[in-house]
Amino acid sequence: MRPKVIQILGLVVTAVYALAIVWLYATEPRSFREVATGAQVAAGTYQVDQKKFDAALELFRREQFRAARDQWQSADPAQGDPTTQFYIAYSFYREGWGRVYYDQDLFKRGLEAVNRAIALAPEPLNVPDENLQLHTAAELKTELEQGTERTWGDVNPLKVMRQRK
Amino acid sequence: MSEELEKISDDLTITKRQEAVAVDNRSRNQALLSYWALPSIFLTVALLGGLRVGADDRAFIFFPPPLITLVLAVLLILLFVRGGLIELQLWIAASEPPLRNVSHIWVLLTLFFASAQAFNSVLPERGLLHWLFSFFFLWTLWNNQFSSFDARRLLRSLVVLFGTAFVLKHLLLPSLYGSSGGWLQRLAGVLAQGVSLGTLDAPMFAPATGYISFFALGLYIAGLLVMSFNEQIANSKQ
Repeated sequence: MRPKVIQILGLVVTAVYALAIVWLYATEPRSFREVATGAQVAAGTYQVDQKKFDAALELFRREQFRAARDQWQSADPAQGDPTTQFYIAYSFYREGWGRVYYDQDLFKRGLEAVNRAIALAPEPLNVPDENLQLHTAAELKTELEQGTERTWGDVNPLKVMRQRK
Repeated sequence: MSEELEKISDDLTITKRQEAVAVDNRSRNQALLSYWALPSIFLTVALLGGLRVGADDRAFIFFPPPLITLVLAVLLILLFVRGGLIELQLWIAASEPPLRNVSHIWVLLTLFFASAQAFNSVLPERGLLHWLFSFFFLWTLWNNQFSSFDARRLLRSLVVLFGTAFVLKHLLLPSLYGSSGGWLQRLAGVLAQGVSLGTLDAPMFAPATGYISFFALGLYIAGLLVMSFNEQIANSKQ
């Protein structure tokens, strides 16, 4: 191999290595597993674990919201799938919803998840699930935002008549 | 007679060919060293210099170089130029081919970040100790700017500088603040914290952090040694 070829290849390979280091410092993975997941996301080969996703959906339908969230989080460790993030947000909504009051902490976490889902989706997110009453991320976001706002309507006794979506 | 002449001529041709092959191999090896090994070594130091391992969950913590380490790295590069470890006029010149200049600038850049991260690896992360260590580094490097140096002396001085900082940060401080020590050790830690009104507080990391730092510093010094030998070969050619 000619020295000039070695020089050019050296430049290219070490530049790629430098970019990988910058990426590591920017994404701050906490383990080798997160490094691998992050690399899959960067390479565009990342996929959600469908088995875990389905298991989580089953738990969600049985109103086991925390267990469902755990499953969804392990199905989508990179938090890169908009549908999974939508369902996580929905589980926060359903768990945090109460006839008398809403759990502010759960609603805020739900809002974070739905914002992630909106940011990840290339077009307005629509989840055609018959068991849900809110099918779009925008609707869910509005519902969660309204739950975190404090208004005079909160003291209305008729509030107990409302239904969870 | 003619047979003898032919034999001598053949021998000369073989010797010339062997010399040409040797020169070819030498230039290839030097290119590998300069454009592959050196940037890779320095980039690895840049990667490992800011890596810590959490004491509780053993998770990676990437600690980007603080601003002071960049200042220290600039001073160190100036010292390398003054000490002759980097012959700047030979490295980057208008008469050199552009690709060669770009490659040399790239090596310099990787050396700069490796230096910053080498400092980052031996500086305490926060508190008064961070500023004390930074001040001593700054003082030493500033003083060295005005003393006469050659590459070998400079390397020796750097080994001592980084070695001392490594021992202080990764051996002395963890033993002072570590929770696993005996009562005397804990008492010393509490006293040090009390006297300094808590400003000597330092974050605790897993022991793996010390090993990573040791490896990074070793690699950094090895890279500087390789660079020094490479420079000597280049100078002898000139």
